[in-house]
Amino acid sequence: MAGSSSAVAGSTAPGRNPNRPKYSKFSQQELPACQPILTPKLVITAFTIIGIIFIPIGIASLSASQDVVEISNRYETECIPEGYRSTKDDKIQFIQNPQSNKNCTRTLTVPKHMKQPIYVYYQLDNFYQNHRRYVKSKSDKQLRSPGSESDTSDCKPENNANGMPIVPCGLIAWSLFNDTYSFTRNNYVSLTVNKTGISWKSDREHKFGKGVYPKNFQSGGLIGGGSLVSSIPLSEQEDLMVWMRTAAMPTFRKLYGKIEFDLQANDVIEVSLKNNYNVYSFNGKKRIVLSTANWIGGKNDFLGVAYITVGGICFFLALCFTALYLKKPSRLQDPSYLTWNTNPGPL
Amino acid sequence: MRGWEKVGSSRSNLDRAGSTATTNRITSTVRLGRVEPQAPGHRTIFCNDREANFLVRFKVLSFHLYKSLALLCLLYADSEDSAKFQAGHNASPPPPPPPPPLEEGESCWKESHVPRAWLRVLRDVVKRLIFSLTSGVRGNSISTTKYNVLTFLPKGLFEQFRRVANLYFLTISILSTTPISPVSPITNVAPLSLVLLVSLIKEAFEDWKRFQNDMAINNASIDVLQGHKWVEIPWRKLQVGDIVKVKQDGFFPADLLFLASTNPDGVCYIETANLDGETNLKIRKALEKTWDYLTPDKASEFKGEIQCEQPNNSLYTFTGNLIIQKQTIPLTPNQVLLRDFVLSVMLEKRIPRASEDCNGEMVLGPDDRETSIGHILEVGCSLRNTEYIVGAVIFTGQETKVMMNSMNVPSKRSTLERKLDKLILTLFGALFLMCLIGAIGSAIFINRKYFYLGLTADVEDQFNPDNRFLVFILTFLTLITLYSTIIPISLYVSIEMIKFIQSTQFINKDLHMYHVETNTPASARTSNLNEELGQVEYIFSDKTGTLTRNLMEFFKCSIGGEVYGTGITEIERGAAQRNGGNVGKAQKSPGLVHEKGFNFDDARLMCGAWRNEPNPDTCKEFFRCLAICHTVLPEGEESPEKIAYQAASPDEAALVTAAKIFGFFFYRRTPTMIHVCESHVEKMGKVEDMSYEILNVLEFNSTRKRQSVVCRYPNGRIVLYCKGADTVIYERLADGGNELKNITREHLEQFGSAGLRTLCLAYRDLSSSSYESWNEKFIQAKSSLRDREKKLDEVAELIEKDLTLIGCTAIEDKLQEGVPSCIETLSRAGIKIWVLTGDKMETAINIAYACSLINNDMKQFIISSESNEIREAENRGDQVEVARIIKDSVRKELKKYLEEAQQYLRTVSGPKLALLIDGKCLMYALDPTLRGMLLNLSLNCTSVVCCRVSPLQKAQVTSLVKKGARKITLSIGDGANDVSMIQAAHVGVGISGLEGMQAVMASDFAIAQFRFLSDLLLVHGRWSYHRICKVITYFFYKNLTFTLTQFWFNFQTGFSGQRFYDDWFQSLYNVIFTALPVVILGLFDKDVSAKLSKKYPELYKEGIRNAFFKKRVVGIWAFFSFHQSLVFYFFVSTSSSSSQKSGKMFGHWDVSTMAFTCAVVTVNLRLLLMCNSITKWHYNNEFFTIYVLMSTICFYLTFLLVPIAALFGDFIFQGVQRWFFPYDYQIVQEIHRHEPEHSSSMQLLEMGPPLSPDEARSYAIAQLPREKSRHTGFAFDSPGYESFFASQAGVYVPQKAWDVARRASMRSRSKLPPKS
Repeated sequence: MAGSSSAVAGSTAPGRNPNRPKYSKFSQQELPACQPILTPKLVITAFTIIGIIFIPIGIASLSASQDVVEISNRYETECIPEGYRSTKDDKIQFIQNPQSNKNCTRTLTVPKHMKQPIYVYYQLDNFYQNHRRYVKSKSDKQLRSPGSESDTSDCKPENNANGMPIVPCGLIAWSLFNDTYSFTRNNYVSLTVNKTGISWKSDREHKFGKGVYPKNFQSGGLIGGGSLVSSIPLSEQEDLMVWMRTAAMPTFRKLYGKIEFDLQANDVIEVSLKNNYNVYSFNGKKRIVLSTANWIGGKNDFLGVAYITVGGICFFLALCFTALYLKKPSRLQDPSYLTWNTNPGPL
Repeated sequence: MRGWEKVGSSRSNLDRAGSTATTNRITSTVRLGRVEPQAPGHRTIFCNDREANFLVRFKVLSFHLYKSLALLCLLYADSEDSAKFQAGHNASPPPPPPPPPLEEGESCWKESHVPRAWLRVLRDVVKRLIFSLTSGVRGNSISTTKYNVLTFLPKGLFEQFRRVANLYFLTISILSTTPISPVSPITNVAPLSLVLLVSLIKEAFEDWKRFQNDMAINNASIDVLQGHKWVEIPWRKLQVGDIVKVKQDGFFPADLLFLASTNPDGVCYIETANLDGETNLKIRKALEKTWDYLTPDKASEFKGEIQCEQPNNSLYTFTGNLIIQKQTIPLTPNQVLLRDFVLSVMLEKRIPRASEDCNGEMVLGPDDRETSIGHILEVGCSLRNTEYIVGAVIFTGQETKVMMNSMNVPSKRSTLERKLDKLILTLFGALFLMCLIGAIGSAIFINRKYFYLGLTADVEDQFNPDNRFLVFILTFLTLITLYSTIIPISLYVSIEMIKFIQSTQFINKDLHMYHVETNTPASARTSNLNEELGQVEYIFSDKTGTLTRNLMEFFKCSIGGEVYGTGITEIERGAAQRNGGNVGKAQKSPGLVHEKGFNFDDARLMCGAWRNEPNPDTCKEFFRCLAICHTVLPEGEESPEKIAYQAASPDEAALVTAAKIFGFFFYRRTPTMIHVCESHVEKMGKVEDMSYEILNVLEFNSTRKRQSVVCRYPNGRIVLYCKGADTVIYERLADGGNELKNITREHLEQFGSAGLRTLCLAYRDLSSSSYESWNEKFIQAKSSLRDREKKLDEVAELIEKDLTLIGCTAIEDKLQEGVPSCIETLSRAGIKIWVLTGDKMETAINIAYACSLINNDMKQFIISSESNEIREAENRGDQVEVARIIKDSVRKELKKYLEEAQQYLRTVSGPKLALLIDGKCLMYALDPTLRGMLLNLSLNCTSVVCCRVSPLQKAQVTSLVKKGARKITLSIGDGANDVSMIQAAHVGVGISGLEGMQAVMASDFAIAQFRFLSDLLLVHGRWSYHRICKVITYFFYKNLTFTLTQFWFNFQTGFSGQRFYDDWFQSLYNVIFTALPVVILGLFDKDVSAKLSKKYPELYKEGIRNAFFKKRVVGIWAFFSFHQSLVFYFFVSTSSSSSQKSGKMFGHWDVSTMAFTCAVVTVNLRLLLMCNSITKWHYNNEFFTIYVLMSTICFYLTFLLVPIAALFGDFIFQGVQRWFFPYDYQIVQEIHRHEPEHSSSMQLLEMGPPLSPDEARSYAIAQLPREKSRHTGFAFDSPGYESFFASQAGVYVPQKAWDVARRASMRSRSKLPPKS
């Protein structure tokens, strides 16, 4: 055996071992590495640090959230005349009747000083904008470029009207929200609502084309929602853009506009709204919301509470572990705890 | 009935055809029944006549044609029935078949209405034709590849889709192209194609390697007779009937009929190590008729005709006739030389991949390859001690016995992988449940009241409120596509990749497992079983070549009550270390001689110094006994340096070598004389030639356990020298001299406990008269025709008595380096080692002692067939009776021992148990009725030794434990007799670097030394197990988490199956964002360093217990992924429900991107949390995953909160677990936390060839606490024993050492010029 190997070695390169693996840190598995070990000390330290970081963040975001002033008013029932409120069918009948008077007035009181800009939202409940059939019922190509007008394959059943393609097609556009709001402060000053810049910039610039104009919109048998002015290109139809950025949850808010005046505490805001949109079929709710925003965004206590909770628990655990650690030192580092030392005997 | 008669007649026709050696056309057909004509029972080969053989092949071809046509007729017979049913039909008739060469043909070919069956038959015909055509074209070339260019794609893909996971993903991919799918097809198709691509490339690469090896073998060259001279042609062009010349040390290129040899007697010596693992030489003898066909001129006249059996896979049988000069001579396996060189691995291993020229540039030309192949052929050696032989080719290529034997190695899957299947099944269950919930929800939800969904009357089925059941079904399918990520597609390919790198980069390249002497690195031949190595509980080991080197060295002796030899055996050293003794360096005497078979160091005996010892006369007798009493043959030049001894057992060679070095140089043997060159006998420096007349040889056999030689000195003194087992010698000693006997016995025990094999030497002076009277009886016995053996034994008893004890020898059956310590380490790791050997019980026990598998503190249970009762029964010769008696006694003993064992187990500190059983008893113990008892008993024993077991029994024992006890088993061996055991075990390990490659071929891992097992198991196996467990659980966790967020989201979408994440995110999640980091973990994670793994072998027990892939562990992971998915979903959706700073609201895709980012970050952080070691590779990956930046504070806040909130639970869990319920490895980590990881790299780099045996021995200490042993370690391999199984299988092997000796002596005599 030795002879054979030496013969092989001799024939190729004397004195060397051709089959000897080359040394490398990789193949010998000796790459330099650090060993993170979750020792009790490390665990305690980590918890303490998390606590120290999280609690201030939590307090900051909670207080920021508290600073946000938000007024919300639900109106879907109140804006129906008394006589139509009793049953669902009555409500639907009312809302679907183009002749019925849909004007309605709501009064809001400003609880605290509200700095401009004040954002006006509408909030819908129980509206599944994230339903699979709904989400895909649009044509991105059609929205983007004027040439792809007839690309409406995904839009059924709202793809064609009278044999012509609908622009914008699909269920999303078709069910465009069309309640309108106008505001007066303390009964005499009318507040203008700025409706520009309410959509996402990326939508304006990339998703909705400049040369795309609405065509045949809401001209079919059923009217699903709002209509569009056919002389304005889609890239300037901000309401549509806001609506078409579908929400993730069945309860969602969408930006309606901005009021660029400060509102004082105890100001009375009168909202004249046109209750056009049908949420009665599916027992939806409608709200109008006025809200300020600061660095944290709108009112959202959740983040702050969550931070404080997690930070607090961490802190508490750190304390507990410390106590435990002092009372009963680590079992580790003691060979006698190895299982084969603690319970001898056949495996 | 008529049909059956026809069958009969056709059969008899065939038979007749066989007997007359002509292939008559068979003129009858078969109408009834499915009786197929049989292939001709034999084939005819015309030697030295290619055209004639071509004709034969043509006949075979026509036979196949005939057979096919007969099949067609059969089919027709069938179709007659069916035609009745289809009478009305007027289907188009099949294409008219060619006119059959059958007499009754016309009646066969009628219209048939079964085109499908036609197709089948047609296919069959084509297959047969192709086979018979190509078998000629291929000649002697072999192919071990799985695919060729055409079949690669279809067959490779088929192989891939046999995997359930791949099939599942194929289904999902197909589903995802339909409109019901919520995701775009790319989500599923892209990963699947990636996975398939990687797997196919791997397959192609492996097959390419195999192909290259085949080509290398097929192109090796061989001398073939063409015309009147030898012409070199490549192996692949060799054809049946060719006459070839095989030179000394060459391989047989095909199965040959042995015609002539340069040796007188027409014998040749062959080595069959590759075939059956036996390294001893075997003798083949040509028929006397053919002895002369040696020279090209003569050989070209040879016109024989061989009738032989069809190719088959039985290595030990061959039936055929040689018809030469109109004479028919029967052939036996003794005339057949089998090809034994097919093994691609051999080439792979031994061919240097490329040679370097002086400029350092790599050169690899065809010439290089050619020479290296030529070289390899020489290295391998099949033909020995014979200048060349001439043979005729019988079977070529794929038809050679060795190829017929090449088993399709059953592909093994690791236990972990099988458990993984269960996990996958569970996941399927979860998937089903989730889909069920979703589908029910969607069927309830769908309603026309949601007018904005446009559920008009003609809405598609999936959303049609009028048919909710259809909605349910379709949504179910939708959801399966959506949630398909719960089964991690990249899991298999990732694991495969990890294992592949583990085996090719880590195991194959580990310098700790590289053996310098044989230049052999470890080699993982399959990458499937890496983690199985981390869970092995039982090791089944072969003895010879695995535990021992099969190298006997004269080590110590005791002469006249004095111990000589200062060496220390491994066992003694181990014992001393255990007792805390100091193992210092022994003084090495100057001028120490070391030679193969001799490793003795004591200046008192060397160079004639023994003359100054107190008992020089005893010494003289001792040495003479060694030099005379043996059956060894000297070979080569008659000088002490160059002579080589041919012995049937290495023990004998060692003893004769020892005598040579002590100055009693045995150099020549004639049938009647032994010539010994004695030096320093009368006077220092004087050399004297002595020749002793050998009067009688009383041979060794296993009952006698001794061997004697009666010789006459030149001065007329007649002496009987005897050597044998201590027990038999002591019985036959003369009275008196008790002191010497006792001292020697003490020495024997000492040697025995040191693991040495002992023999007692004795002599007896005979008077001429008493010898003559005995010799008469002896001759009488020898010439008796009945019971000769028995009578000879009886006669021997008469003279082998009143012996005078000279002393004893101790031979070290050299263990492989580091075996005892490796075994010790492994047993500390909770691994139980069983020795399964073909050796005798004494030898096996000896080695078990030597390897510290057995010691004197153990309670030994011995089940042996060597009891008197059984022997008597055997002598009576009734096989049925013998079987009954053995079975009874085995049952009795098993029962007794089992009770005893259980009793010992109940006591607290009972002794450890060891079971020793021999093959014959084992055969009965493995009987289904006793199997349970055997298993119970053996599982209670710490060590089990099975001796005299056949290869099949080795496999049976292995599967007994594998299947009976459901433990993970590993078999390790080096020879062909271990192949079945290697294949039967979960993991098969072959010892490579030696000649036999069969074991390596069948193995899953090949290592050069037994001791590397500790590295392979404790380091690589353990790490692999850890890593693979982590990878699997992590994959499980991350995909479950990901899919569960989808699931929660679906509750909020009216169960519509809307996807939460973007298509690309979803597909890349598995393939890129999370797969790469986990692969890094699977490659680099180390809990404790290699050094500590070996220092604390007990850590391995965690693997045996399967501590890291238990239901509980998986359950904990599932719990946390549940928790985390909830955190992701609700935290993200709640925190993003408010407006952001500019007053705008997040849309669906904004939320999902945020959730996705959080998920990816969390999941990767979790990975970091489970890392035991973090290398720079880890960092890179972590940074890579944090890629998405968004412009809102809220995002950052969420981003900080969610992962921490999600991992909060895991963190606490891990901390608490580590603190209060630590794993062993974690404790070891802590103990050695502050030690810098000691890098052994420098040592390895510097490591030259390891210490030579002398140097290694120099660590010995002079005096050690001696242990007394009841076991004296008698062992003396019976000559020819190695072929025990071969002979049982019907192979001719020389049964007597003397037989070998006589033949060889005749040969050597003929070579040497007569001296007188």
